[in-house]
Amino acid sequence: MKQQHKFLVWLGLLFFALLAIPTHTSQAADNTFKVGMEAGYPPFNWTQTDSSNGAVQIQGSSSYAGGYDVQMAKKVAKSLGKKLVVVKTSWDGLAPALTSGKIDAIIAGMSPTPERRKTIDFSDTYYKSQLVIIVRKNGKYADATKLSDFKNAKLTGQLNTYHYTALNQIKGVIKEPAMKDFPSMRVALESGTIDGYVSEKPEGISVTRANPNVKMLEFSGTAGFHTNPADTDLAIGLRKNDPDKERINAALAKISAHERDQIMTTAVEQQPQSKSSGNWVIALLKQYGGMLASGTGITLLISMVGTIVGFIIGLLVGILRTIPRTGSKARRGLLRVMDWLLSVYIEVFRGTPMIVQAAVVYYGAAQAFGWNMNRLAAALVIVSVNTGAYLAEIMRGGIIAVDAGQFEAAHALGMTHLQTMNKIILPQAIRNSLPAVTNEFVINIKDTSVLSVISVSELFFQGSTIAGQNFQFFHTYLIISAIYLILTFTITRILRAIERHMAGPQNYNLMANQDQVSVPKVNSEVE
Amino acid sequence: MTNEKIITVEHLEKTFGDHRVLKDINLEVNHGEVLSIIGASGSGKSTLLRCINLLEHPTNGDIKFHQQSILTSDFDLTDYQAKVGMVFQSFNLFNNLNVLENCMIGQTTVLKRDPAQAKKVALEQLDKVAMSPYVNAKPAQLSGGQKQRVGIARAVSMNPEVLLFDEPTSALDPEMVDDVLDSMRALAHTGLTMILVTHEMAFARDISDHVVFMDQGVIAEEGSAEAIFTNPQKERTQTFLKRYLQGGMR
Repeated sequence: MKQQHKFLVWLGLLFFALLAIPTHTSQAADNTFKVGMEAGYPPFNWTQTDSSNGAVQIQGSSSYAGGYDVQMAKKVAKSLGKKLVVVKTSWDGLAPALTSGKIDAIIAGMSPTPERRKTIDFSDTYYKSQLVIIVRKNGKYADATKLSDFKNAKLTGQLNTYHYTALNQIKGVIKEPAMKDFPSMRVALESGTIDGYVSEKPEGISVTRANPNVKMLEFSGTAGFHTNPADTDLAIGLRKNDPDKERINAALAKISAHERDQIMTTAVEQQPQSKSSGNWVIALLKQYGGMLASGTGITLLISMVGTIVGFIIGLLVGILRTIPRTGSKARRGLLRVMDWLLSVYIEVFRGTPMIVQAAVVYYGAAQAFGWNMNRLAAALVIVSVNTGAYLAEIMRGGIIAVDAGQFEAAHALGMTHLQTMNKIILPQAIRNSLPAVTNEFVINIKDTSVLSVISVSELFFQGSTIAGQNFQFFHTYLIISAIYLILTFTITRILRAIERHMAGPQNYNLMANQDQVSVPKVNSEVE
Repeated sequence: MTNEKIITVEHLEKTFGDHRVLKDINLEVNHGEVLSIIGASGSGKSTLLRCINLLEHPTNGDIKFHQQSILTSDFDLTDYQAKVGMVFQSFNLFNNLNVLENCMIGQTTVLKRDPAQAKKVALEQLDKVAMSPYVNAKPAQLSGGQKQRVGIARAVSMNPEVLLFDEPTSALDPEMVDDVLDSMRALAHTGLTMILVTHEMAFARDISDHVVFMDQGVIAEEGSAEAIFTNPQKERTQTFLKRYLQGGMR
C-alpha cells in the first residue's frame, strides 16, 4: 500500500513538471523560423523516415518532412538568417497555430483567400496552381472532358478549401461531405464511396504516380473551373504586421519561375513510395516500426497518466461531494457552493466532446490569453480533467453504495468522518469502482486518438501519417487496430489481477494456537 | 451495581418529518446495570437506543452522560462514542477488514493504542467469544452468528463504559442465537453496563436488572424483570407478553 502511494506521488510530480515546461517551444523563438505544414500533402509536403533529399526533421519527432514547401521554406529561412524548424500541424490547426504564435509561417500549399486574409496575412505567391479532378482510371468518369460531364457524379474536396466550394460550379453534381485530408479522399476514391475529388495539379501528378488505378483530369479554358488568382495562387501565411514580410517577399522574388518548376518536378519524383516486397506486415513494421512504437508509447503514457490523475481528481471530487451537509449554516452554505461548482465542472467536461475540449484548451488558451502549452502537457491535462469528470460521478456512486451501516459502525466506535472515509469507506468504494476505472482506462487508450487534432503524435496520428505516405490504408490501420487491441486486452487483464488482489485471498486459515491467549473454544458452530 | 447514574434521558423526543417516534422519554441507567427495552416493532425502542449514542439526533429533550449533557456543542462527542459501544442487528462489520483488524481499528484510530497492545486486547476479546481461530477471515466468509460474536468482540475491545445492543440476534438463524446470547451473558456477569433492545424475552428476563416496555413511542411500563414478566400491571404489556408467550418463550 505504501509503495503504491509513493508511485502515485511520483506520477503526480511528473505531471506537474510537464505542466511547468510548456512555454519553451514557442519562446526560444528568435533564431528559428517555425513553419507549419501538414506533412501529408505530397508533393508540397510529406513525412519520411530519414533525412534523404534535403528533408528537415519535424519538431518533437523522429520523422522528417520533405517536399516543395520544405525546399521553399529552406530558401526563405536561409535568406532570413534563421534556422528552419518544421512543425507538423493538421490543416485545421494551421491558422490557430499561427495566430497563437506556435508557428511563424504557414507553408502548406495554402491559397490567400479573402476569408483567410481576415485573420492572417500572406506573402507574395510562391506557386501557381490549377484545379483538377482525380477519378478512377476504370471508372465511369475517366473520359470526362468538361465539368458538365460530372452530372450525378459523387465528388468531394478537402474541408475548408476553395477546392470544395468550386464544386458549386458543376451543375447536377452530388456534393459529398468535405473530407479532412487527401489521404482520406484517396481511400474514399479507391473504395468507390466517391467518384472523384477536386485537387490541384501537383497533388494530382503525385497521386497518379503513386497509384496506377487513378487518373488526373485537366480542363482547358471554359471547360474547366473558373478560378480566382486568390485561390490558385499559393502563398506563405504570416501573422498580421509580421516585420519579416518584406524580406520574405524579397527571398521569394529571387526564385525564378523556372527554378520553381524544377523544384516541383524534383519533389514529385522524390515523394515517398511504398516499398512492397515480401510479407506486408513485416515490410510495414520494418519501415515504420519506430513510428508505431513511439505512437504506442505516447498513447500509453497519455492514457495511463490521464487515468491515474483523473482517478485522483475523481476521488477528491467524489469525497467532497459526499461530505454530509451538517453543522453550522456557514459550513452548509460553503458545501453547497462547492457542490455547485463541482457539478458545473462535471457537466461541462462530460457534456462536451474531448476533441472540442482539446481544441479549446490548446488553441483557445493560446489565442485568448497567449497561454502557450506544450502539446503533450495539454494532452495530459485534457485527458486527466476529462477522465476526472467521469470518475467523479463513479466514485461518488461508489461511496454512496457503501452500506450506511459501515458509517454507523465507525461512528459508534468514535471515529471521525475523515477516519471513517480513510479507513473504512474509501477502501470499499475504490474496490467497488475498480471495474469502472478499468473501463475508463480502456476508453482512454482508444479516445486519445482524438488528440490528433492538436497534433499529439499518438498511435492514430502516427498511423495516419504512415498511411499518408505509403497509401496502404487498410494494412496500416489493420496493424494499428491490432496494437490497440493488444493494449486494451493486456491492460484489462492486469487491472483484473489487481482487483483480485484487493479482494484478498479466497480462503482463510484457521489460526493455530501460537498467537493466542488460550485454546479457542470452537463449539458446535463450525459448519 | 451501584447507584451512580451513567446515562440519564430526560423528556426525549424524536420526530421524522411529521411522525413522532419518541414522545417524552425519561430513563436512568446506573453503573453496572443491565437494562432491557422490549416492545413491538415500531414502538421506538431502536430509535431510543440510536439516540443514546447519537446515531440519531434528538429533536427535543436531553441526554446526560455522567450528569453532563451530550447535546451541548463543546461536548467531546468522539470520546463519548468511544465509551459507549454498540452492537448492531445487521452486524456492520467492516467489509474491507478481516476479523482481527475489525477489532483493532477503533483501538488504534480512536484510542490511539499501539498496534501490539490493540492486537493483544482484540485477541483476548475474540477468544472470549470463541472467534480467535478466524482472525484472518473477512466478514463475508463468516456465518451470521460468527459475525455477531466478532461484533461483540469489536465493541468490547474498546473497553466501553456502556454497551448498547440493538436487536443483536434478530437477524440470526435460530441455531446461532444461543452462542451470541452466551457471549452476552458472560459480558453481563463482568459487571458491564448494558442497554439491550431485544425480542428474546426469556433472555431478557434472566439477565436484566431493569426492564422497560415501550409502546407507540412512550414507556408504557417499567420495573424489575420479575415485575414486568410475572406480574405486568398494564393491559398493553400483558397483551404484548401474551403474544410472545404463546409463540413459546425461548
